[in-house]
Amino acid sequence: MAIDTKWSEILNSSENKGAYIKEVQDLDDEIGAFLQFDPDLGAALTTGGSENSLKGLPFAVKDNIAVKDFNLTCGSKILETFSSPYSATAVKRLLEAGAIPVGKVNLDEFGMGSATTNSALRKTVNPWNPDRVPGGSSGGSAAAVAAGMVPFSLGSDTGGSVRQPANFCGVYGLKPTYGAVSRYGLVAYASSLECIGILSESVDMMERVYETIKGSDPKDQTSRDASGEIPDLHHETMTIGVLESTEGLDEEVAQAYEEAINQCKSLGWNILPVTIDSLNYVVPVYYTIAAAEASANLARYTGVRYGHRSAQSTDVQSMTRETREEGFGSEVKSRIILGTYVLRSGFQDQYYVRAQKIRTRIKMDLAEVYEKVDLLMMPVFPTQAFPATGDSLTPFQQKLADRYTITANLAGLPAMSVPTGVKNGLPVGVQFMAPEFCETHLFKAAKAYEAIYRPQRASKSLHLIQEVR
Amino acid sequence: MAAFDTFIGLEVHIHLLTKTKVFCDCAFEYGAPPNTHVCPVCLGYPGVLPTVNREALKFSYMVGEALHCTPSEKTFFERKNYFYPDMSKNYQITQFQEPVGLGGYFEFKTQGKTKKIRIHDIHLEEDAGKMIHDGNRSLVDYNRAGTSLLEIVTEPDLSSGEEAEDFLQAFRQMVQYMGVCDGNMEEGSLRCDANISINKKGKGLGTKVEIKNMNSSRNVRIAMRYEQRRQARAKKTGTKIVQETRLWDAENKKTQKMRTKEAAHDYRYFPEPDIPPFIPDEQFKEAVRAAMVELPAVRKERMKGEYGLQNDMVDFLTAEKSRADFYEKVIASGADKETSAKWMKGEFTKLLSREGLDISTTNMTPQRFSDLMKLLGDGTIHANIAKQILEIILEEDKDPSVIISERELMRPAADASGLENLIKEIIALEPAAIADIKEGNQKAIGFLMGKVMKETKGSFDPATVRAKLLELLGI
Ligand SMILES: [Zn+2]
Repeated sequence: MAIDTKWSEILNSSENKGAYIKEVQDLDDEIGAFLQFDPDLGAALTTGGSENSLKGLPFAVKDNIAVKDFNLTCGSKILETFSSPYSATAVKRLLEAGAIPVGKVNLDEFGMGSATTNSALRKTVNPWNPDRVPGGSSGGSAAAVAAGMVPFSLGSDTGGSVRQPANFCGVYGLKPTYGAVSRYGLVAYASSLECIGILSESVDMMERVYETIKGSDPKDQTSRDASGEIPDLHHETMTIGVLESTEGLDEEVAQAYEEAINQCKSLGWNILPVTIDSLNYVVPVYYTIAAAEASANLARYTGVRYGHRSAQSTDVQSMTRETREEGFGSEVKSRIILGTYVLRSGFQDQYYVRAQKIRTRIKMDLAEVYEKVDLLMMPVFPTQAFPATGDSLTPFQQKLADRYTITANLAGLPAMSVPTGVKNGLPVGVQFMAPEFCETHLFKAAKAYEAIYRPQRASKSLHLIQEVR
Repeated sequence: MAAFDTFIGLEVHIHLLTKTKVFCDCAFEYGAPPNTHVCPVCLGYPGVLPTVNREALKFSYMVGEALHCTPSEKTFFERKNYFYPDMSKNYQITQFQEPVGLGGYFEFKTQGKTKKIRIHDIHLEEDAGKMIHDGNRSLVDYNRAGTSLLEIVTEPDLSSGEEAEDFLQAFRQMVQYMGVCDGNMEEGSLRCDANISINKKGKGLGTKVEIKNMNSSRNVRIAMRYEQRRQARAKKTGTKIVQETRLWDAENKKTQKMRTKEAAHDYRYFPEPDIPPFIPDEQFKEAVRAAMVELPAVRKERMKGEYGLQNDMVDFLTAEKSRADFYEKVIASGADKETSAKWMKGEFTKLLSREGLDISTTNMTPQRFSDLMKLLGDGTIHANIAKQILEIILEEDKDPSVIISERELMRPAADASGLENLIKEIIALEPAAIADIKEGNQKAIGFLMGKVMKETKGSFDPATVRAKLLELLGI
């Protein structure tokens, strides 16, 4: 609570505010988290909040989530000049609670990537080590929290885009149940997979933000309230399912996973090794569905109504073609092409329909596992934050590495990455995955773990609030 | 034509009369200034989501019920992908695998017989905006973008342009009756494309040609007749009929091959992830049933029997639901069936069309009309007065009895003492005329009649006045 008091005071007085703005700006020259930083603009949007809510707390918003009057670039040249005429429902609910959006943070273009290196607009580094990537696609959201520039931020998670950067930067990252948080105002990449998620410096903060933004929204008909009672834990003591085999993990990550299992035991939890065969199929299934949906979702960017319009056009066809050629980066283009390919008539059964069938199978497999365990604990990513340059992961390796995070998206389940330590100067962590709408179980586990290991702030972080940490 | 069978199928699009567009909260208003009924959703802004309008679903299921379709127990939407500037998302939200209704049929009268044609499916979708080409630039108006459109696809069961026209008119009347569409073809609230093929008698379907751009049922008829002849000529001369889309050129009265290049589109349909499947529950089904109305064909038969009306009269009365409703309320209030029908078809309709009024929204309520007919029937007023009262009600919003008593000179015929006193006054004022009459001058009677009629502003029937006058003169 002491932390929040401080945070809530930061934008309270002009003296504090001035110091805060100056320090964030200076620090962000090195980190590159923000694409737009404007606490005054954000303060003007805030509509209320009682003393006990999130009143006065600054937060950052991934730049694929709409905040009225702020830019909404999606990290893309095609929307570089676009500012949003409306606010996302999740943002609106935070504004009503009195929180203050201080700016928009960097991401892989349209959320497509695992390192924020696919942003067309800015480079973001990991606050723990400027040679390392912050992860992605919510790299700016993770870096801003890790560097102590905000106590929490909003991100989006399509295949791990909240949990993986949270893991790389040593902060908490929640991907809620599909439909638990309205997607209205989240720029669509893969509609059936993605959610607005939260990155935060503490579990308590996470829980309060989640409680504020969750709940059905008439503007998103896929949003739902938790139906009926949230299932109780199976036993008095939690049973955690852990993967029997975790091949392909880097040494530090494998070690961290083993250590986390031992910590769970020390907390008195039961550990049950499980195998999930369908895990082997999640990557192709995910990329088939995500690309198919992306090919339609990104069709609206043609320069007709807003955003970039090519100067090279002679008619509407060439305008569409040239605008997209100039406006989209190569990762976005490759996914649009892939998505167009898998949806061709005559090939749907082979790709898209088949992927949907396997997806159903994965859900069934997991439902079976949850009959025996309360939570699953899995690695987040096979590596720690990798170098931004040199022979790090190729785009293809990055996609394969998404296998642990993707599962929750395919099954629509809530999952939360939790920092568990620091190795070689970089954070490590694990993720817990729960049955539908069992976010409270995630918070319970994460809080218990928080008592054992309280995450550090990154080496590069704001001095102003350093002392409250 | 006798040597060939003709097969015509129609794709009818109707704009549903929903208060808002199908996937957002914008209203639709025909002829509104460009881009005044738009929002981030129907403009396809980044981050917005469609939300399906329940009223549109209800109307769709109602049409399905009227067409005897099998209603979908779990209907869902799909994305139909293609780039066109008037479509803000560059995909259309429509239905494909699981439309709201499948199968079904529609019966209508044509050339004196009842024809039954099969319905393939009905599906709910969004309309596109409008491109306006202006010299070397193009403008887009998105007012219409996202408005609710229900497409009705028939099997190729129609065999002539006349049948197609009769079908359209009967179908249009039905949707107007149901209140789900205003049926206005000029404004595009009811649109129709056709497919037509011909073949040697008994040989089944021929090569299908699509015809677009027919904006009236009459145009559908003549376009179909033209296309029948064109294809028959091709058959006779051994020219191959190409499967293609042709546009109806109303000015030159012929179909022409569509100029845009006919690259076979791959629409890459896939289920719309933003809108969950719709599963009609009991409450919804009940609401659909409750909203169903007696359809025109059924009502016509019933009213014919119930009121003993002739065919052309019942056709007139049931042409519009509001008119039939009005008539039945008038009769229910006790007015005479035949007189009321005659007056509705005659004076009242004349007056409504002169004033450009709609029968359901004027001051003339069925109760007032019924009262007026009763006053006419019992001789309280005569036809001329009834006509005047009709006009006055439209202007002044008063009951017939109030108008009669308020206008002093419109003394009711039944008020004989009033008339008697007036005639006595006039007799007293015109001694010269009386003298003339006594001398046998008939013209003087006419002069006195004129005086009385003028004073009473014609509120008495001339025969009554004359009889009273002669009585008082002792003739
Ligand atoms: Zn709209």
